[in-house]
Amino acid sequence: MVTHAPAAPILLYNGECAVCTRIAAWVRASAHGTPVIDLRPIGDDPAALARLNPHLDIWDAYEIVHLVMPDGSMKTGGAAVVEVLRTLPNTRWSRGLFALHVGAIRPAAWIVDAGYTTLAEIRPLLGCASCGSTNAVVRSVHGTLERLASTWRNDRRALAPYFHSASPRRPRADNNAHS
Amino acid sequence: MADRPPAVGAEIETVGAASFETRVLEARGPIAVEFMSYGCSHCRALEPVLREVAARLDGRERIARVNVAVDADLAATYGIRVTPTFVMFRDGGEVGRSEGPHPQVASLTTILTRPFVSGDGAAW
Repeated sequence: MVTHAPAAPILLYNGECAVCTRIAAWVRASAHGTPVIDLRPIGDDPAALARLNPHLDIWDAYEIVHLVMPDGSMKTGGAAVVEVLRTLPNTRWSRGLFALHVGAIRPAAWIVDAGYTTLAEIRPLLGCASCGSTNAVVRSVHGTLERLASTWRNDRRALAPYFHSASPRRPRADNNAHS
Repeated sequence: MADRPPAVGAEIETVGAASFETRVLEARGPIAVEFMSYGCSHCRALEPVLREVAARLDGRERIARVNVAVDADLAATYGIRVTPTFVMFRDGGEVGRSEGPHPQVASLTTILTRPFVSGDGAAW
């Protein structure tokens, strides 16, 4: 199998995921036309991915974001996001932040990793039909929030005559009842 | 997001429009064909289970896959509406099918072998 070293890091994204394609569009726009990141949808050909990197498994690629580096290494998850932010022209300033160490911890990288992990978990709730389902805790929290939002909307509709009119007025009484 | 468990078990052969006739329809013995897509989350969750089932079957029944994103015509020919869908073949004819996810090894094994179980309960 022949693998060709890419000139720029290749960011693989799920082309069927609305969240992922939106983020990919942001990365493309942030690159300002410069070839600093090569964006490619994961696609459906395991062999094509293996040509990029023999250790790249298509199932893994759909599970977690992968960045194939020109030196043949791969970064995944939060580490891939950090590398993208370090590379893009308009977020290159973050390099200093990501280089900061507090003991053995890099706080900025840790925060990005936690952010990515959270986003990856809730992607199905944000319109990704191909990203599976969230775990039970997230589903439970999401359900509770939806119920609260629904209750709030209903309450607001009921109270609208009192709070949303330019000249507050009470609900109209049925005057005909006494005529 | 939980990491996918390491792939264990047998590899699943991928067949496409060009090889479907020889690898499935003209093949001898029972074959289960998974119509799937790599972007399908249910297929992704099922993959390690399917590999384990393939290893347990140990060649008594072959398992193959068709990527519906690549071979849409083949999927249309077999009326595939959802992924994953398993279609069981014997001697070139369909003998059973099952739609949707089956995340347990035992239940998937049952589903894939049931069409080939004879009246006396003996498989294959």
